[in-house]
Amino acid sequence: MSRYITSSAIRGAHGVVEQAEKLYKETLKALGPDKEVAFPNTTYYLPVIYTLTGHKVQKIADLAKPLELAKSLLAPVPDEHLWVPYLGEALDAGAATLFAEEIIEGIRFAKGEQPEAKNGFKFNGPIDDVQMRAWGIQMVDGRMPGFAAVIGAAKNNEIAVKIVRELQSKGQLVFFSGTTNGISIVDQLLESGVDLGYDTFTVPFGSDTISTVYGLGYASRAAVSFGGVTPGDFRKILLYNKFRCFAFALVLGPIDDLKWATGAGAINYGFPAICDTVVPNVLPTGITKYEHVVSMPFDDIPGKDDMERAERLVQRCIEVRGIKIKVAKVKIPVAFGPAFEGEVVRRDNLRIEFGGKGGMCFELLRMKDKDEVEDGKITLVGPDIKTFDVGAKVPLAIIVDVAGRKMQEDFEPVLERQFHHFTNNAEGFQHQGQRDITWIRIHKNAVDKGFKLSDIGEIIRTCLVNDFGAIVDKVQVTLYTEPEKVKELIEKARVIYNERNVRIAGLTDDAVDTFYSCSLCQSFAPNHICVINPERVGLCGAYNWLDCRASFEIKPSGPNQPVAKGQIVDAEKGEWAGVNKFAYEHSNMAIDRFTLYSVMDAPMTTCGCCECIMVVIPEANGFMIVSRDDYGMTPSGMAFTSMMSTAGGGQQTPGMMGHGKYFLLSKRFISAEGGLKRVVWMSKNLKEELGEELKEACANIGEPDLIDKIADGTVATTVEELLPYLEEKKHPALTMDPVM
Amino acid sequence: MALTGIEIYKFLPKTNCKKCNFPTCLAFAMKVAQKTVDVSVCPDLSPESKAALEAAGRPPIRLVTIGPDAKKVEVGNETVLFRHEKTFFHPPALMVRIKDNEPLESIEKTVAEVSSYSVERVGIDMAPNGFAIDNLSKDAGTFAKVAASVAGKSELPLVLMSTDPAAMEAALEKVGGNRPLIYGANAENWEKMAQLAAKYKCALAVIGKDGLDSLSELTEKITKAGVEDLVLAPNTANLSDSINTLTQLRRLAFKKAFKPLGYPVITFPGAASKSVEEEAILAAQQIGKYAGIIVLDHFTPALFYPLLTLRLNIYTDPQKHIQVTSAIYPIGSPKETSPVCVTTNFSLTYFSVAGELESSGFPAWLLVCDTEGLSVLTAWAAGKFDAERIAKAVKTLNLAEKISHQKIILPGKVAVLRGELEDELKGWDIMIGPPEAMDIGSYLKQMWKN
Amino acid sequence: MAPVELPVEKWTGKIKEVKLGGNGRKSMVIGGETTLPFLKFEGVLPNKPVIAVEVQDAPPKDWPQALVSAYGDALKDPGEWAKKALSFGAEIIYLRLKSAHPEEGNTGAAEAKKAVAKVLEAVDVPVIVIGPEVPEKDNEVLVAASEVGKGQRLALGNCVEKNHRTIAATCIADGHVAIAKTPIEINLAKQLNILLCDVGLAADSIIMDPTTGSLGYGLEYTYSVMERLRIAGLMGDGMPSMPMLCDVGEESWRQKESRVTTGVPETWGDPAERAINWEIITAISLLNSGANIITLRHPKTIEFLKNSIAQLTQAG
Repeated sequence: MSRYITSSAIRGAHGVVEQAEKLYKETLKALGPDKEVAFPNTTYYLPVIYTLTGHKVQKIADLAKPLELAKSLLAPVPDEHLWVPYLGEALDAGAATLFAEEIIEGIRFAKGEQPEAKNGFKFNGPIDDVQMRAWGIQMVDGRMPGFAAVIGAAKNNEIAVKIVRELQSKGQLVFFSGTTNGISIVDQLLESGVDLGYDTFTVPFGSDTISTVYGLGYASRAAVSFGGVTPGDFRKILLYNKFRCFAFALVLGPIDDLKWATGAGAINYGFPAICDTVVPNVLPTGITKYEHVVSMPFDDIPGKDDMERAERLVQRCIEVRGIKIKVAKVKIPVAFGPAFEGEVVRRDNLRIEFGGKGGMCFELLRMKDKDEVEDGKITLVGPDIKTFDVGAKVPLAIIVDVAGRKMQEDFEPVLERQFHHFTNNAEGFQHQGQRDITWIRIHKNAVDKGFKLSDIGEIIRTCLVNDFGAIVDKVQVTLYTEPEKVKELIEKARVIYNERNVRIAGLTDDAVDTFYSCSLCQSFAPNHICVINPERVGLCGAYNWLDCRASFEIKPSGPNQPVAKGQIVDAEKGEWAGVNKFAYEHSNMAIDRFTLYSVMDAPMTTCGCCECIMVVIPEANGFMIVSRDDYGMTPSGMAFTSMMSTAGGGQQTPGMMGHGKYFLLSKRFISAEGGLKRVVWMSKNLKEELGEELKEACANIGEPDLIDKIADGTVATTVEELLPYLEEKKHPALTMDPVM
Repeated sequence: MALTGIEIYKFLPKTNCKKCNFPTCLAFAMKVAQKTVDVSVCPDLSPESKAALEAAGRPPIRLVTIGPDAKKVEVGNETVLFRHEKTFFHPPALMVRIKDNEPLESIEKTVAEVSSYSVERVGIDMAPNGFAIDNLSKDAGTFAKVAASVAGKSELPLVLMSTDPAAMEAALEKVGGNRPLIYGANAENWEKMAQLAAKYKCALAVIGKDGLDSLSELTEKITKAGVEDLVLAPNTANLSDSINTLTQLRRLAFKKAFKPLGYPVITFPGAASKSVEEEAILAAQQIGKYAGIIVLDHFTPALFYPLLTLRLNIYTDPQKHIQVTSAIYPIGSPKETSPVCVTTNFSLTYFSVAGELESSGFPAWLLVCDTEGLSVLTAWAAGKFDAERIAKAVKTLNLAEKISHQKIILPGKVAVLRGELEDELKGWDIMIGPPEAMDIGSYLKQMWKN
Repeated sequence: MAPVELPVEKWTGKIKEVKLGGNGRKSMVIGGETTLPFLKFEGVLPNKPVIAVEVQDAPPKDWPQALVSAYGDALKDPGEWAKKALSFGAEIIYLRLKSAHPEEGNTGAAEAKKAVAKVLEAVDVPVIVIGPEVPEKDNEVLVAASEVGKGQRLALGNCVEKNHRTIAATCIADGHVAIAKTPIEINLAKQLNILLCDVGLAADSIIMDPTTGSLGYGLEYTYSVMERLRIAGLMGDGMPSMPMLCDVGEESWRQKESRVTTGVPETWGDPAERAINWEIITAISLLNSGANIITLRHPKTIEFLKNSIAQLTQAG
């Protein structure tokens, strides 16, 4: 931590502990050791002291122990020039400060001086238990994202009001304490006619910095009440708050030693401080989730006026604490919901279309640095819908920039593919395709209701934040309708698409140490478990490795779990110790080995939804592949359904295996048995569907004519018909090593 | 460990001769591995291969057949302890006990009632499976007479219950050609009973209420005497004995391949029950937990309908999606102005939607499309619940004749089909219902104004 | 002749023990078994399954006559109803706040508190409080119910994925148990337990409701999912090792077979007898697949099932 801050915090702690000790001694004399000390309406005594140490303060004499503890936590005030203080000492000083502050407030109650009254306004003092419970439930269930402790005063009344309104609009509970140059934000808000109190989620603790401790008392009680933590287990109290209580301090105005000391106390709880003055930044070290102290000098915040600056300041607070705020509703002028997903916009009702035959429309999602993205900013470059003729076909570029602490470049296509699903929920909006083959049609009624192009941005932004909040923090959308600009951008986009293709092609099993599982099908096939590696798509064809990885990031307890590869057992067959262990544990102990590149030895199990099934044809020394939509008989003597009833339902059936269509194009496609060269028969529609890509894959293994040598249902539906065909074509499988 | 298809294939002649009715040896091998066909179907197996395969492939619980071919009951040959592991194959026979000391009239009445009883559920007819004639009269002549009478009135399989070999022989002389189950052999009479079983080629029940040790001792003696088709009658008098004993028997068969007790089980849930409800509870437990033949003391439709339903439920293949027939089902008493909801023919989907419609208070039509037994989203993803299929169902089931409007309500999860369906069903209003069945009631309240 | 050697599974897991009641109220523990249901030769079943009887916060509009006549005037008041249920043999009261449903009266927190207080006052057995199963309304009325029963270790449900945080929070705050309900699927059940533990609810404060399908209406799905959950729990996976509750009463009595007396095939048999058989057969099947708590409605069913459970769990 910064030497400046540490020294200041330790000095502040010394000061407040001395003050507490002095006050304690005076009060002991004046009121006697048995005078009651208690915060009103709580069963948690002095809550910070009680929850962190387990010590119950009920009378003046009980204060001696925490006071001693506070003193013992104090390191000497650092020497100006020579001595380098440690983070630990600053944190200890913070704890000592909180104890001292609570002792002081306790004595003030004993003396009848709390809650504080000033200029006719009665401050709240500590939050009572009933309110703590009501808010606590909302904090645990996420309705209330967190709380903000605002300390000091804003530059002026107007900014004070704006800051509080912004915090409220983000669902924050707001606490107030402390002053700047004798003025408190509470004064500023009262002067501006703002209502303060439980009903408006605002709690004025007191006018001095010491009363900030009430906020930490609240957090401590929440940990005991909702975290099931035993009072005295300070470590768990602090961890609970770090991970579950999304609180932060917003420190307005210059910071004195006591504020630094109190701040150090808050950092113990994992609560960061954002300051609107020039102070040293303290970057993450693990005590808080992200940064400890962030400096954002108010006048240097970019923005057209102070109001915008205040907005950005609050936005930054939210980011620093890692708070996710869900947007309840997509704010567009037409209805939005799954009921509209299948709507078709017909020629008669068409107001405008983008892309499609002869058109130009694309969508691109890019990962950016968080400073490059302004959340919620939606820009249209070029004219909007209404300026075009009815039925016009117009070029459109949709560029979405996202930033997120857990965002990865690999998730770009995963998120981009969601646009289709998102936008189709809008009434009167039809979306097809993806990338540079996107085709959008908009209904006349939608435009009549006021639908504008920026609404596309609104939909994408809201849905990304709501559905993918685990990886996306900020989203900005730019739309272009100027033909020249779209043309220029689409070329750039195509470069990116191509790079992605190359990257995915280069994503190999050897390059990663984690595969992903998929247990979605266990409801029907209880012993079935999919292991999805970069070079093999899930057997349903719907999930590839990247999808699974993103799905895991989004929902860590979901059906896609990481599978550590572990020690390699057999490189040729694609067998890893970690995969075997995972398969065993997740197949109800039914399967103890899984090879990823072999059909003959411990192949993956097959559930009910595989796109294709392959089976060995011993007579032909190779394999045949039948696709789900091929109802005909095959040379194996079994049609697709008959093979499904053999291998499906989670069976491990050596010689037979379900797989996804695109697995055929992988270099790892049954590589243990010799790969594509082993394929002697496949369904005609599958051959056609994979077409050029399959040809390319054949060429890549040095068998450019292979596709013609592979039989299909038009030339053979029995082994007897198959063999002469293969002989005639000189199929390579015939001369390979015996498959069995 | 059972052999895989490939391992079995290695023992086969590899001639693809098709005499087994499979096009290839491999296809045959795969089915043998699944235990859906017996390896002995292959006529060209070498003796060595046959021996090796039979040893590996012997079912841990022997399949036993009783009754005349037309109405025969097959029990045993189960392969799993829990239905989710694969499926239970041979549903337990539910039989009714006839006391031979009761007046013949009342016996004949019961026989007539039971034989003619059949109840339909989701397109499947369910019925009792036979009679167990109990020689309570202790008289051989009466026993034989009653057996003959029952066999004369009904084709259903019989269990002959007597421990007196003379009585048994008298009855077998009359009905032995119907392949009844002989119940049964005990420590005293087993030799004679085994002879009878061999003579009449009938299965023999082995009674051993004193624990599995003596029971297995007895079965070993009997098998050595050449009788292989056995049924076990251990102590299953109460719920606790039944579940513990029958679980042990099944575990022994699967986990230890313990041959002397690898046979199906017969139970008598009414024997020690004090009421018909107690009998129902024990019978229900035995349907789930491992009985092969269940003999009930009471026959009433109100008892058999739920028990037969339970048997249907438990013996449904959990890996096959059970289907209901594609049709337009009236829920409540719908009129031509009533709403039409569309769903798939996966039984659970059907039941959830039908149940919610039922309790919504709205009489309605439920149009069930044939989706090959898949649920809404799965069927949609597999292309089996698309606009074309729905439109086809609407047309072939003549929906338009039943209703005066042109509106159908699609499940919310397939809202995406709306556009295409509008194309397929010109002039129809395609409404989008809620994604979950439980919200149908509120949806109709809001959206369906009569 | 050597005795037959019985195969005994060596389960490494144990079903979690969950305590209900206490603090002045009778308390009980459910769960704790180390083997599959009732297999005494293999493990211990320290706590027998229990019968919960349903009480609603308002007279039921849709109950068939067989039930209405069994309870009589007691249906008019939740407290009286609870006492009646107790006299029939209830070991737990399963209070359903049905009138909080938006379409059943849309009552709120205040009414919920009153109903819960009445039942808590009337009987001293553990109480389960179930909301109207509309997640937002559940949050409103269950949080209220939670406060009324603070410290008495009620069970609150249904806690589904959508509202699990709120229910978990209130359970943690007031020391209750959550009934975690998931659609018939093993992984979803496990996931919800993980989510609840993530929020901070202790693993011994969760009871799973895997969703009950009654006889003829999906029973087989529930049956198998429960067997799988139980096996997974016994195999040592902590997350599906919570005790299970099955709502047999509601599910079997809402079916046509239990309600309709006329206009159905004769082969369905006597309506009164059939309805009771429907409930007892559903109940025994789900007990055999692992239920620790079953809800029941008809007094006759309660009596028979109580005897059955005694038979299944007696020593020796």
